[in-house]
Amino acid sequence: MFARRRFAVLKNLLEYVGIEPGRLHFSWISSAEAEKFQKTVAAVTEAVKALGPAQHMIKDIRKVA
Amino acid sequence: MEAIAQKIREAAKRLLSEGKVDVVIGYAKGSVPMREYPYFAYTPEEAENLTWTSFCCNNLALYTIRRPGRMAVVAQGCVSRNLVNLINENQFKREDLYVIGVNSPGMVDRRKVQALFPGKTITEVIEEPEHLLVKGQGFEQRIERKKFLRSNCLTCVQRNPVISDEMIGEKGPEGHGGNIDNVAAPWEKLIPAERWAELQETLKDCIRCYACRDACPLCYCHVCFVDEAQPQWCGKTQDEADVATFHILRAFHCAGRCTDCGACESACPQGIKMRRLTSKIEKDIRELYGYRPGMEIGATPPMSLFRPNDPQDFIK
Amino acid sequence: MSQKILAKDKVDAFLQGLCRDQDLFAPVMKDGKVGWGPVATAAEALWEFSNTEMSPKDFFFPQTECMMRFKNVQGDPQGMIMQAEAPLSRPRVLLNIRPCDAKAFQVLDLIFVQDEMTNDLYWRDKREKTALIGLACNDPCPTCFCTTVGSNPHGETGLDVLLVDLGDHFLAKALTEKGEALVKDLPAAAAGDEGQAAELKKAAEAKIKGGVAMDKVNAREVMELYDAPLWDRVMESCLNCGTCTFCCPTCHCFDIQDETQGEAGRRVRNWDYCMSWLFTMHGTGHNPRGTKKDRVRQRFMHKFKYIPVKRGGEIGCVGCGRCVQLCPVNIDVRKVVNDMNA
Repeated sequence: MFARRRFAVLKNLLEYVGIEPGRLHFSWISSAEAEKFQKTVAAVTEAVKALGPAQHMIKDIRKVA
Repeated sequence: MEAIAQKIREAAKRLLSEGKVDVVIGYAKGSVPMREYPYFAYTPEEAENLTWTSFCCNNLALYTIRRPGRMAVVAQGCVSRNLVNLINENQFKREDLYVIGVNSPGMVDRRKVQALFPGKTITEVIEEPEHLLVKGQGFEQRIERKKFLRSNCLTCVQRNPVISDEMIGEKGPEGHGGNIDNVAAPWEKLIPAERWAELQETLKDCIRCYACRDACPLCYCHVCFVDEAQPQWCGKTQDEADVATFHILRAFHCAGRCTDCGACESACPQGIKMRRLTSKIEKDIRELYGYRPGMEIGATPPMSLFRPNDPQDFIK
Repeated sequence: MSQKILAKDKVDAFLQGLCRDQDLFAPVMKDGKVGWGPVATAAEALWEFSNTEMSPKDFFFPQTECMMRFKNVQGDPQGMIMQAEAPLSRPRVLLNIRPCDAKAFQVLDLIFVQDEMTNDLYWRDKREKTALIGLACNDPCPTCFCTTVGSNPHGETGLDVLLVDLGDHFLAKALTEKGEALVKDLPAAAAGDEGQAAELKKAAEAKIKGGVAMDKVNAREVMELYDAPLWDRVMESCLNCGTCTFCCPTCHCFDIQDETQGEAGRRVRNWDYCMSWLFTMHGTGHNPRGTKKDRVRQRFMHKFKYIPVKRGGEIGCVGCGRCVQLCPVNIDVRKVVNDMNA
C-alpha cells in the first residue's frame, strides 16, 4: 500500500522525463494467482515489444566516448 | 533589510549570552557580492557578523542535521518548513531547537542580476528598500528587487516561518503573487521525445559535483545512492544515462519532502534548473495526496502513509 | 624569441591560418556564460572577458575519459583482447587562454609527467599536440590573486604565445619554438610596443588587491598546520560538494573503473574529488578521511603544503579565483590560506 504511492509518483516522473508510457507496468498479483501472472507477463511483453528497443537511459559502452 | 539584520544580531547576542543555545546558525556577508553564507555564531561577539540580505539563499536547516547541542536557527518560511520536516523525520527534537523566525522578502537570483551585465564583473550590490544598486567596473545600475527574485521565491506560498520561538520584524504576506501551477512541471505539455530532449538540454552542463544534493536539507542519508559502490547503482561517467539517473533519482528521493526552497538551484555552479524535475513531484504530491511538506509538526510524510482510496488506475 | 604584431583587422586571417591544420578553441559566450568552444573567426571568440567559468583542464584531462577497451568472448582462442584508445588525431590551439590557466597546466605537468614510470600518456599526448596562445589580463577581477601565488596577469609560464591587447593591435610574444612557428608570418613589433605592454602589466598587477601570504605556511611543519584549530571553523559550512575541485584548473584527482556490458568493456577514468566520502573509502570499510573536516583540510593542505613540499616549492594554486566565485557557501581560499598563515 505504501508502494502504491511511491510507484504512482515514480511512474509519473519517468513519463514526465520522456520514458514512453507503456514501458513501465504495475500489477498486483498474489502468489495464488498463477493465471493472472501468466497473462500479465504476456501482456507486458507484448506491450514492450510493440514499443521497440528502449532509446533512453541506455548506456551502450561500445559506443560512448 | 538592515533593520531586520540588526534585530537578528540582537536576538542572537541575547540567546548566546543567556546561555540558552550553544550556537546561532544564520547568514553572514560573503567575500563576493550576492553570496551570503551560512555562519555559526558561538559567542555574542561572533553574533555581530550575522546579516540578513536579499542573498540568503542557502537552506540553514541543513546544518541542524546530526548536530549535537542546543541550536538556534534563523528561519524564513522555507527553512522553517524544512526544520518541521526534520522534526517529523525524527532527526532532532523540537525542544533542542530555537527558531529565530523572519519573514522572507524573497531572495534574489544572482544569476538573473549577472545576466544584465554579461561578461562584466559586479563588485558591489547595495540593498535599498525596493531596489538593489549594482556596481561594477565602469557601471552602476539601480534595479527593481522584485524583478530579480529566484523563481521558487516568486511562487512561494509560505514566506512566514511555520514555527518560531521568536519573530524578528512583522509577519508579511505569505506569497509574492506567482502561481506555482502555472510554472510547475513545464514539460507536461510536451510529447515524450520532446520531454527527453528537454531533460538532456537541462542537464547538459551538469558536472556532477553534487552541490544540489549537498545543499539540500532533505539529503542526509549516511551513504547516498550515487556513492554506493557495491552494487554501483549509478555510473560515474558524464554519459547522459548516468547524469540523468542521478538527477531523476535525486528528485524522486525528495518526493513528498521537497519544500521548493531553491537551495539546489542556488548552489549549482552551472546554473542548472533542477526544479523542472522537482516541481513535477511537488505538484503530484499536492494533487494526488493533498500534501504540502513541512507545514505542520506531527504530519506523516505522504510516502510513509497510505489511504485505502489512493489513486491506482495505473495498476493492472 | 620574437615579438610580433597582430593587427586587429588581421585576426581573422591569422585564425584562418591556425585552423588549416589544427582545431581551434577559444572562450565564447554560451547561454550567457563564458565557456570554451570551437571558433573559426575573431568575432566568435571573446576578447574582453574575465575568465571562463570552468577551467580548460578538460582539454587535457576530460571529466570522463576512456583509457582502453576490451573484449572477452567466451571460447575465443585469442582470449581477452585489449585495445588502446586512439591518440588525439589533430593538433589543437587554445586561443585566449588566461596566463593563470596556462600556469596551472605546467603545475599539472609536474604531477602527470614526473619520470619514466609516472608518465600519463593520456595527458601527455594532448599536451604535446596542443599550443596555447594566451591573452594577458589587463583587467583582473576582484577575486583574482595570481600575483600572490607565483602567477601573473601577464604571466608567460606554460604559454607558447602571449597576446597583449595594446588597444589598436596585439603584441604577440612567441615564447616557445611551437609559438614561434605560429606567429612566424606576423610583422615584427614596433619600438614602443614592449614598453607599452610592460606598463599594462604593471597596471594589471596593481589592480590585484588582497591575496594570500605564504611565508609562515612555508615555514611551518606539515603536522602543525594539519593539527591547527582553524579547520574546525573552515569545515563548518562546507557542503563537501565538488564545485571547488571541478572548477579548479589544478585539481586533478580521478577514479578509474572498468565498465562491462556483455562481452565488451572499457576502462574509464572520471574526475573525482577529495571532498567526496567515497574517494578515500577503502574496501575494508575503513576511511582514512572519514570526517568532513579531514576532507576539507585535505584540499587546502594539498595545494598549499603537500604540493610545495613535494614539487620544489611550486604551489598547487594559480589564483584564478574560480572557487571563490562558485563555492555555494563562499569558502574563500584566500581567507583559509591567510588563516593558515596567521
